[in-house]
Amino acid sequence: MQEGKPLTDREINRGLLNILFENPLWYWGLVGLLAVVVLGAMSAAGYMINHGLGVTGLNRPVMWGFFITNFVFWIGISHAGVMLSAILRLSKAEWRRPATRAAEVLTVFSLMTAMLMPLIHTGRAWRIFYWVFPYDWARGIYPNIRSALVWDPSAVFTYLTSSILFVYIALLPDLAVIRDRSTGLRRQIYSILCLGWKGNPRQWKLQVIAGILLSALILPVFVSVHSIVSFDFSMAVSVKSWHSTIFPPYFVIGAVHSGVAAVVIVMALMRFLFGWHDYIRPEHFDALGRLLIVVATGWFFFFVMEFIFGLYGLEGDEIGMKDFLTAKPPWNWWFITFVGTTYFIPVSMWLFKGVRRNPWLMLVACVSVNIGMWLERFLIIVPGLAQKQTFNFVWGTYAPSPVEVVIIIGTFALVSMLMLLFAKVFPLIPLYDVKEGEILRSEIQIGRKKVPAVIRDE
Amino acid sequence: MHRANGHTTVGEEVQLTPQGVTEHLSYKVFNIDKRFVLALVGLGVLVILGIIGFIVRAVDDGFSDAARPQWGYYAAMFGFLLVTAGSAPVAAIAFRWTKNHWRRPLSRASELFALVGILNVLWFIPMIFLLPGIDLNGDGVLAVGEDRRTIWFEGPIGAPLWWDTSAVIGLALCGLAILWVSARPDMVALAARGTGWRARFLSWLSMGWRGTEQEWRLQQASLAVLGAFYFMLLVFVHTLISLDFALSLVPGWKDSIFAPHHALTGLQAASGTILVTIFLMRTCGGFRQYIGLDPFWSFSKVLLGLTLLWGYFWFSEFMTFWYGRDPTEQTVVKLVMFESYRVAFLLNFFFSFLIPFVMLIWNVVRKSVIGPAIAGASVVIGAFFMMVRLYVPAFNIPQADLGAHTVADFEAEAGQIAVQLLPVKPDVWDGFIVAGGVGAIALIFLLGTKLLPVMSMWETKEGLLYILFRPFIKGRYMVLGKPE
Repeated sequence: MQEGKPLTDREINRGLLNILFENPLWYWGLVGLLAVVVLGAMSAAGYMINHGLGVTGLNRPVMWGFFITNFVFWIGISHAGVMLSAILRLSKAEWRRPATRAAEVLTVFSLMTAMLMPLIHTGRAWRIFYWVFPYDWARGIYPNIRSALVWDPSAVFTYLTSSILFVYIALLPDLAVIRDRSTGLRRQIYSILCLGWKGNPRQWKLQVIAGILLSALILPVFVSVHSIVSFDFSMAVSVKSWHSTIFPPYFVIGAVHSGVAAVVIVMALMRFLFGWHDYIRPEHFDALGRLLIVVATGWFFFFVMEFIFGLYGLEGDEIGMKDFLTAKPPWNWWFITFVGTTYFIPVSMWLFKGVRRNPWLMLVACVSVNIGMWLERFLIIVPGLAQKQTFNFVWGTYAPSPVEVVIIIGTFALVSMLMLLFAKVFPLIPLYDVKEGEILRSEIQIGRKKVPAVIRDE
Repeated sequence: MHRANGHTTVGEEVQLTPQGVTEHLSYKVFNIDKRFVLALVGLGVLVILGIIGFIVRAVDDGFSDAARPQWGYYAAMFGFLLVTAGSAPVAAIAFRWTKNHWRRPLSRASELFALVGILNVLWFIPMIFLLPGIDLNGDGVLAVGEDRRTIWFEGPIGAPLWWDTSAVIGLALCGLAILWVSARPDMVALAARGTGWRARFLSWLSMGWRGTEQEWRLQQASLAVLGAFYFMLLVFVHTLISLDFALSLVPGWKDSIFAPHHALTGLQAASGTILVTIFLMRTCGGFRQYIGLDPFWSFSKVLLGLTLLWGYFWFSEFMTFWYGRDPTEQTVVKLVMFESYRVAFLLNFFFSFLIPFVMLIWNVVRKSVIGPAIAGASVVIGAFFMMVRLYVPAFNIPQADLGAHTVADFEAEAGQIAVQLLPVKPDVWDGFIVAGGVGAIALIFLLGTKLLPVMSMWETKEGLLYILFRPFIKGRYMVLGKPE
């Protein structure tokens, strides 16, 4: 884990802060393009609010479609932050250093985007206030806290708050570095943001302790968020194929799978767009690829368990559901695509070291994962609802409308645009983390060979 | 840049040399002291008690479908063997994959538990006969190998007895293969320093190991591949055994997290087993200079994570069943958690989750030797009670009621538990069987330590090369080589 030339502090500052102080044309062109797509999505949402939910493909019995699929998808992507930042920080993995902040920031923006989805899905978003707050004390109508749909915002807001705190605490030393390199109004803003960071031993000690504590405290939140999102489905007895005890860990490991794959995509793009070849090296992709093999295989085990237990009870409607998914076109083609893109294609690529060390091939494999994981959520939600259940009286089908498609595409553009805007204002790779890695870098002579080593500070 | 010479320090500032490691560990294998003999005798008595209990049960009750309720604790003990000794080699496999240097003192001990795989296979044989019979060919006669309850495919070939037996035997063989591949370099070193039948046997068993570069590379690759197979087989065995011998015997019980929870309990209990083992090695075994604080400190974090996962999996199962208010699911929850087997469940919950969690969240406990060992012992005890509350009620469902649609259909007096779901208390023969099982695990492990070194010589010497202590800024810190 010691490839790449040794870097001085000056080189690190200059290399990682280049995008903050320069204005390349490609950057504003890309941001502009993404902004156009986001505006298009906002227009579509406005059109939908004006004309009603009828402009979407939602109809009895498929009341949840693309919007809820996208909600679960982005919640899943948000799990990258804690996985890579908190867990790897606690386990002292050296290869985490260039990935942590990008993962944490992706968490924050994907959570924000995810929360937009149920809001848009309500159709009349302003009525969310009536749902959250009791609007008529005399009639005693309160939010039903026994509903998983009420647990959801509590969990997501907690995760969002703690993630923002996590990003901010880790940003403080870097904000001070930018402050010291800025002038005028910019300097004043960064001075306020860095909370008077001077870099003395006491501040560093507090920052490290805060990072470790937040890492440990955010882990249960990370598990609980997607578990509670899974409760939206598994608590429902009425929809066949949803009421399954394996849903919470199945959703969580699926989230880790898609989230880590998303971070790999972000890292590959960062390396290409910002020229960070010295900081994001093939060894990092190699380590992430090996982690993804383990996570993907764990996910596949849970998927198989969930699938075969649908058949285990020999219940006619559950078997009918599985038959619908695996034998009826076009659903069987979506199913094959989902399994192939989520597991078989990427894992068979990751088995080769040459692929793992190639950023572009890793990008392709991880895009495949995220296509598959989006399809996974779609295939959990829609086919289950489309079947005749105990409490509805009709079979149905679902086809997304152009409005929904535009809004979904808009969410991808939104997250990308927010990441780019963040990169313009704050460094996406933590400066102090990279500098620490350089200090702890060492070598041992064993016989005739020099072996890379790391100094353990405990 | 410093040269790694013959003298360096490992763990807590203890002087070890490669030559010293070889001599000392060889001595430990060939020397048999009074304490060892006493331990063998004590464990031998337990094993004999277990054999007596098994024979009495077999003679009195037999292995028919009608006798299955009598064998619940025997089945629970098989589950316990699987989650402790059966899963223990995973510690060596997993931490070799992640290239943790603190694994070195415990990897061989973890691999030695593969010898207990032979006991797993022997213990499993009667259980095949205890699976409920279904007259598949309709001739009115239940014949072993012809008529069995099928879950996986139709026909005797697809029956659990084939799948399960193959899986259990495969797991044992894979574990022994890992032990052999890992121990070959040490066998040569021992054969060169020993005399008598053991030296001759080890020389033969090493199959001409010379320590060439190609042999070392092949060994690393073999350990990686066999390790992957073992892990997959272990999950497979946990899935099959838990489904065939527990879940499927309770009508209407459909629980998709059951098998993963069982597998996770295996990982957790295996971690506890290894922690207790290295604690005993350090305090009673004379390996203090090899086993410092690092393995306990690092492994305790893993155990904390596994304990939290255990609690999470349990909560997923409980919450989904409890919230849904389905009658079958409510009956199952009452059976295995809150009514019939409430005591076993509470003990399971306390020992598998509450006690280790409350202990291991404190850094001062994790950063000690005794703390993780106590937590490890706690999860091992908790695993036993989990096996009791899963297998005993499942084996107690009478043959005539297996065809019921659901346990919720069992008739009961108002406010009473159905007869089929009443708790089964262990008798003296069950106690003998449990004691025999525990004694057999320890006996086989101890005998294994007199055949192979309980600590891997080559891995320990490799660690001496990669771990140095060097001054850094104002202190003295460990420098860890990372050749990968």
